[in-house]
Amino acid sequence: MTAMHPLPSPRVGAPGRIVIVGHGIAGLTAGDTLRREGFSGELTVIGQEPHDPYSRPALSKAMLGDLSTPSPGVVTEVEAQYLAAPSADATVHAGRSAVGLDPEARTVLLDDGGVLAYDGLVIASGARARCFTDSPDEYTLRGLDDARALRQRLADRPAVTVIGGGPLGMEVASAAREAGCEVTLVHRGQPMRRHVGDVLAGLCTSAARDRGLHLVDASVTRVRRDAPAGGLDIELSTGGTLRAEVVVSAIGDDPNDEWLADSGLLTDGRLLIDDWGVVAPGVVAAGDVAWRRSGPGIQRRALWTDAIEQAKVAAAALLHGRSASPVSYAPYFWTEQFGLNLRICGEVPAEVTPTVVDGDLAESRAVLQWEGPTQGGAAAAVNFRIPIPKLRRLARPAPAAA
Amino acid sequence: MAATVVAHLELDRPRCEGHGLCEEAAPDLMHLDDEGELVLDVTDISEQDLEAARTAVRVCPVAALKLA
Ligand SMILES: Cc1cc2nc3c(=O)[nH]c(=O)nc-3n(C[C@H](O)[C@H](O)[C@H](O)COP(=O)(O)OP(=O)(O)OC[C@H]3O[C@@H](n4cnc5c(N)ncnc54)[C@H](O)[C@@H]3O)c2cc1C
Ligand code: SF4
Repeated sequence: MTAMHPLPSPRVGAPGRIVIVGHGIAGLTAGDTLRREGFSGELTVIGQEPHDPYSRPALSKAMLGDLSTPSPGVVTEVEAQYLAAPSADATVHAGRSAVGLDPEARTVLLDDGGVLAYDGLVIASGARARCFTDSPDEYTLRGLDDARALRQRLADRPAVTVIGGGPLGMEVASAAREAGCEVTLVHRGQPMRRHVGDVLAGLCTSAARDRGLHLVDASVTRVRRDAPAGGLDIELSTGGTLRAEVVVSAIGDDPNDEWLADSGLLTDGRLLIDDWGVVAPGVVAAGDVAWRRSGPGIQRRALWTDAIEQAKVAAAALLHGRSASPVSYAPYFWTEQFGLNLRICGEVPAEVTPTVVDGDLAESRAVLQWEGPTQGGAAAAVNFRIPIPKLRRLARPAPAAA
Repeated sequence: MAATVVAHLELDRPRCEGHGLCEEAAPDLMHLDDEGELVLDVTDISEQDLEAARTAVRVCPVAALKLA
């Protein structure tokens, strides 16, 4: 493992220049944290998207909500989801991409040919949606432009086929049903199971069926454009083919790490961070782009609070080295679909039956608790307003007396 | 002497979903009460609290907090 050379601390020496690649929540949080930790040097943020920062989780929730064309002067849901501007005193290059990195020379190459020198670098370039085709009838949902395009298409009430039964696929399916579309969702096995375990996945699936979602239990082997007729053919692992007017693919994401291909910083094609977010001397990373060691394997947790917590730690490590605290937080996750509002602290053990702490599952309003193996358990609120700190405590029950 | 107020923190209450990420970012400025409703303990933000307030505004996934 490479030794970490912290930048000269702002208290002891020259402040230096820090470049942040990516202006999603991880990049923005890193910027805020750097200033909060006293960094007074030059801060530059490069962000591919031309937009002001916005809330990505809202894209598949509130932003797909009311599809009516807004009256002039009314703040639309889309506008309401804009986040605060990047950290004070940062130079922001929106609409610019980093296309290369030389960690020896400590320079970032930009798409317009510009070269930015840095003393410290934060890699927060996030991830992008996977898809099957380049058909205009296949949609994905990752950015604001995607959400706008999908909103517009849904407003015509087409028949929609969603591929993928994770939170994103289910949220989109829910919004499309709400908008009045016929919706089919293709997923192998029970939707949501991997994310929320058996009991909650069962709840999601039956709520979805009650609201008219057609579920097809299969995986998709191929999607073909049907040129003359328009639309798409979805080939299933079970042998059949589904004709679709509009497809929304929610089949996961790939990290935006191509610009690092020649940097020598990828390990087996992956950007690996340690518990401080450190990649190499003077380089840290956070959020959806980064993989982290977890027990024997490595994992990429592409979620909002993970991005925030990793970014805080990484920014502090860039200034203070590994004397700063390593990453340590309990996972938090939420989803809204088919009339269910779920908040979950900790990792739900898929096959364990939870205890109902409050409310009643039959009425879809409950607080649930799972006893976990070693790192504590998990707790969930289903359509139940509860302070999240309290839910966190339920997820980490006091250790039983020996 | 009281610290100079440099900004005001505002909550769009109907938007707030009680995720409490703001409280984790700025526990001295706000907390969720027993019903899970967010209470702003400080709305007149001084220079000293500004970065904490900004971070709280940042982390809210439904953009319910604003600094004005
Ligand atoms: C529709 C949707 C709904 C979601 N809902 C939830 C949810 O309910 N709960 C939850 O916890 N999580 C949710 N997530 C996940 C969460 O939004 C992400 O984990 C989080 O936004 C990741 O933040 P990030 O800053 O790492 O990456 P991103 O937000 O992807 O930001 C990366 C930024 O870097 C830019 N960029 C990429 N490459 C370059 C380059 N070469 N040069 C310069 N800039 C570059 C990108 O344009 C982008 O703006 C959702 C995600 C999506 C897409
Ligand atoms: S983070 Fe946002 S939604 Fe959550 S409690 Fe704070 S203001 Fe409300």
